[in-house]
Amino acid sequence: MDMFAQILSSGIAVGMIYAVIAFGFQLTFATSGTLNFGQGEALMLGALVGLTCVDTFGMNYWLMIPVVCLFGMIQGSFVELIGVRPAIKIKSEFGWIMSTIALGIIFKNVAENIWGRDALPFPSPLPMEPMTFLGANILPMEILVVFGALAMMLLVEFFNRKTIYGKAVVATANDRDAAGLMGINTSMVITFSYALSSLTAAFAGVLIAPLTLTGAMMGGALGLKAFAVAIIGGLSSGMGIIVGGLILGIVETATGFYISTGYKDVPGLILLLLVLAYKPSGLFGKSAIKKV
Amino acid sequence: MLSIKNLEAGYGKVKVLHGINIDVPKGQVITLIGSNGAGKTTTMRAITGMIKPTGGEVTLSGEKIDGYDSHKIARLGLAHSPEGRRVFTTMSVTDNLLLGAFPRFTGSRPKGDIKDDLEKSLEMFPRLKERRNQLAGTLSGGEQQMLAMARAVMLNPDIILLDEPSMGLAPILVEEVFRIISNLKSQGVTMLLVEQFAAAALNVADYGYVLENGKIATHGPADKLMHDPAVKAAYLGGASSH
Amino acid sequence: MMKLKSHIPLFIAIVGLFCLPLFIHNPYYIHLAETILIYTILLFGLDIVVGYIGQVSLGHAALFGIGSYTAGVLYFHFGWTIWGTIPASIVVTAIFGGILALPALKVIGPYLAMVTLAFGTIAQILINEMTWLTEGPLGIKIPKPDLMGVPMSKAEYFWLVSAVLIISLIVVDRFVKSQIGRAFEALRDSPIACDCMGVSVYRFKVIAFVISAGFAGLAGCLYAYSEQYISPNTYNNELAVLFLLGIIMGGRKSRLGAVIGAAIIVLLPKLLDDINLFRIVASIIAIVVVAGAAMALSKQLTTPRRVAIPIAGVVGLAAFSFWLNSISDWRLSIFGFMILLVVYYLQNGIVGFAKSFYQSMVGKAKTTRGEEAEVVDDSISFISAIGKQNTGAELLKVDSLLMQFGGLKALNNVDLSVKRGTIHGLIGPNGSGKSTMMNVLTGIYVPTAGSVLYAGESVVGKTSSDIALSGIARTFQNVQLFGEMTAIQNILVGLHHTFKSNIVEIALHLPRYKKEELEAHGRALALLKFVGLEDLANEEARNLPYGKQRLLEIARALALDPELLLLDEPAAGLTAPDIKELLRIIRKIRDSGITFILIEHHMDVVMSVCDTVSVLDFGQKIAEGKPAEVQADEKVIHAYLGT
Repeated sequence: MDMFAQILSSGIAVGMIYAVIAFGFQLTFATSGTLNFGQGEALMLGALVGLTCVDTFGMNYWLMIPVVCLFGMIQGSFVELIGVRPAIKIKSEFGWIMSTIALGIIFKNVAENIWGRDALPFPSPLPMEPMTFLGANILPMEILVVFGALAMMLLVEFFNRKTIYGKAVVATANDRDAAGLMGINTSMVITFSYALSSLTAAFAGVLIAPLTLTGAMMGGALGLKAFAVAIIGGLSSGMGIIVGGLILGIVETATGFYISTGYKDVPGLILLLLVLAYKPSGLFGKSAIKKV
Repeated sequence: MLSIKNLEAGYGKVKVLHGINIDVPKGQVITLIGSNGAGKTTTMRAITGMIKPTGGEVTLSGEKIDGYDSHKIARLGLAHSPEGRRVFTTMSVTDNLLLGAFPRFTGSRPKGDIKDDLEKSLEMFPRLKERRNQLAGTLSGGEQQMLAMARAVMLNPDIILLDEPSMGLAPILVEEVFRIISNLKSQGVTMLLVEQFAAAALNVADYGYVLENGKIATHGPADKLMHDPAVKAAYLGGASSH
Repeated sequence: MMKLKSHIPLFIAIVGLFCLPLFIHNPYYIHLAETILIYTILLFGLDIVVGYIGQVSLGHAALFGIGSYTAGVLYFHFGWTIWGTIPASIVVTAIFGGILALPALKVIGPYLAMVTLAFGTIAQILINEMTWLTEGPLGIKIPKPDLMGVPMSKAEYFWLVSAVLIISLIVVDRFVKSQIGRAFEALRDSPIACDCMGVSVYRFKVIAFVISAGFAGLAGCLYAYSEQYISPNTYNNELAVLFLLGIIMGGRKSRLGAVIGAAIIVLLPKLLDDINLFRIVASIIAIVVVAGAAMALSKQLTTPRRVAIPIAGVVGLAAFSFWLNSISDWRLSIFGFMILLVVYYLQNGIVGFAKSFYQSMVGKAKTTRGEEAEVVDDSISFISAIGKQNTGAELLKVDSLLMQFGGLKALNNVDLSVKRGTIHGLIGPNGSGKSTMMNVLTGIYVPTAGSVLYAGESVVGKTSSDIALSGIARTFQNVQLFGEMTAIQNILVGLHHTFKSNIVEIALHLPRYKKEELEAHGRALALLKFVGLEDLANEEARNLPYGKQRLLEIARALALDPELLLLDEPAAGLTAPDIKELLRIIRKIRDSGITFILIEHHMDVVMSVCDTVSVLDFGQKIAEGKPAEVQADEKVIHAYLGT
């Protein structure tokens, strides 16, 4: 029972991080039909920039968060401008897939050269002693992760539902042409959705950094698993990615415990393949009707 | 107000419009009719920036807008209720209407009283008022058409383009739609109406143009056009004037 | 004779290849060349997925690894020799390719890329963790294979690899030029049209991945013996991206492109290790690009704006190289920039760029690709003579058809009866359900209720591909040609059903395959002649004028030997003379016994050529009869004009 609770709690924390990154995928996919294959690197850069702020500039963790978010927005806009916009213009799917991959590689290499290849510890803003709850050891940081992730997603939802600019984003996702007819500059909306997507990734980065090691290589696996969550949950369903994230997080933690840490990543990836084989629109998504 | 000269447009290799001329004076309802495939919707799209014209020019209140992006044209005061309605299906009726007024929120158009206009819109379209919080995607075809038109009105536009408002609607709803168009006309709204249903369109319009195979086959005052055999021929073939 | 002459450069290259170890004795360089050859074999395989079915695969490093490890494991645990491990590697990797294809069946684009990425990641993890089989991170040492009892020397193994490369080159070339290659390209250009021409998209996707994996496995096996040591961390995502860079930069759908690409990805890291060499090379490239741009600008072939970014890029790179002391740390960034450069400025790779650059300098526009074929049959008998038998008998019977999407009834209780040998028109206002009917008849939609009987058999639930093969062919409202393929190749895809030869017969160019190719080409040319397109046989379909594209689509549909031909708005966008030609062709086809269903808005077309006309409105049939009757029908007039 203890073990079960432990797996559950650790799994939830991990899962929420995946969900937040997957959330970023959804944002850009909804408005532009594209996504950033280098999303993991956006998270990594956020974590490293955050580390520099806290370590080198002695900034307070909580003050550092908006700085990292701002950085994320700039980085996301850059990716859209260089990698995605030209590809959309020439209507090349291959184009943005390869360019976002390429940009991810470049960011990782730049990070390696600036911060080195080693994994670095990230000072935790909260005490590192675990609390016990129902037999499980829970770090205060893990609770922060869950709340932070939920808060971010709720914030964006609020923005989408209550502000006119948010509604403009949802409208663009719904029907890009019609949104243009409303006077909405849909190109800017797409740039904005990339900025927002990287913002959420960077934010996720500084959330998990204290829990794991921070370094140039932290993005890779996270990106792929976040994609798995986005697919499993369905790229059009917000609720779906939270559920997907939790499923993946818990299954992964359980595998790591019962089988071996080396195999941890496997079940999630297999789940991804199964979903793509049988219901590509995701467990919660809606299938599209072919138009000929 | 809106002037189209020698407009040419198409999709990739297919040239659909071969040089058409249309004039929409302020305060009038002009209709563009013709059978399917004649190029009516292509004309609308070319005017509102959904596709870029390959030749000719479009002038709105003296400004050349051919080649502009849709959002720029909308901000200049041209509202478009597109073919197929294209309401935002995952958003409520109210949100759809608010988005119609988007340029007013951002300052590209004079702000006025958006809340007030929203209520006035709902009064004009009672069916929508009943469903103000319903998701647009769950509305019937007729209700969506009302919504698309109301949304266009929310811009406080100088001119409204209506693309095939009767398409896919049962006759009773078509009547209601055209009643609303008449209503708007009596309020002095300038409109360009594209329609497959020649009779209803010519009934409400001041002047009409008949489009056939991408060219204007004939044009004239709406009441004269209604009895012109060329109109029937343009739709159903047979003895025709080409 | 001309064929032999064009192969001379190839012969020279092959001879040069085999002579290499005789002139160069430094084992390091021989090893480098060997690696290039091995990567080339892999890129041949990757090209099938990237160039021919047009998808991004990030899983080929893993397939490469599976090939290596099959060899390694069979040697390490069972002592197999290379003569056993080569076929084993090919087969095992091909099987994994098939497994990879399964989740990839229903998806394309970014989803498919992710499937391959997931596959690659899983494979690497499994190789690393299953230490009982693979020795995990420790890796496996493999000695050079034995030749007559003695381990091969460096030169002897090089010759073995060269020989395998030549064989791979011939085999892959034969595959892609055969009906299999055409099926791949059709899949890429228009999956819907592909299915409707009787070429099953699912089936060929699997075949593409299987063949591609086979080559990757072969390359992996050779690699294991070349390196003499394999370990899991070699076959990572970075390598997968590198392979992609190689094939895109070298040039897709080109054997030479694969060679160039392999050379680039092997030599580039070496180049980057030596900063002085890199500085020289970067400067040379910068000078060449600037000079080339200046030449192009002087000939007014391009604008300053377009060359600004590439020039800034290469000059910046050269400057960057002088500023740094060591560039090997920035290797990956260089790769990243190269990918960006290639994706936006070198879409057809070096091979493609060289071709078009050459053409623009020389001034000859050449978009045709030579295909050899002679007209074998001139008469109309190539349209399988169904003859005048059974004219008037019922061929298609649609009963109470209901097609519902959510709340919308696109087709509401529609009955339709089409008689053999007639041209049956289907008209109605926009949104009345005409195209929906087409899609139901060809299996793109499964009806919600009702029955569709074609020649007595139900069509409901059959795949589009099966329906096409049973005799129903169609054209599309928005032309769905295989754009990047030539006119004759488009028709050859329609003729896919006439090919019965398998991959062995293709690889070895056995008589049955050669006969089938010859006959198919002859028939394809005859079909082109029938619609007046024989002069444009080698022109890419997307470059044809619109009117001719529509005719090509009809010719392609005829290649299926259909009994029922569905034309969806064939006259849309056509000029008057084109329409006349269209009507002439339709009548000629009808005279040979083929039945038509024709959707049209052009009333003149409908009236002049249809025997019967059915009118749909709001998904229901509102009138039916002879054209003149329907034209005068009150309900029809009301539906269109709304009086």
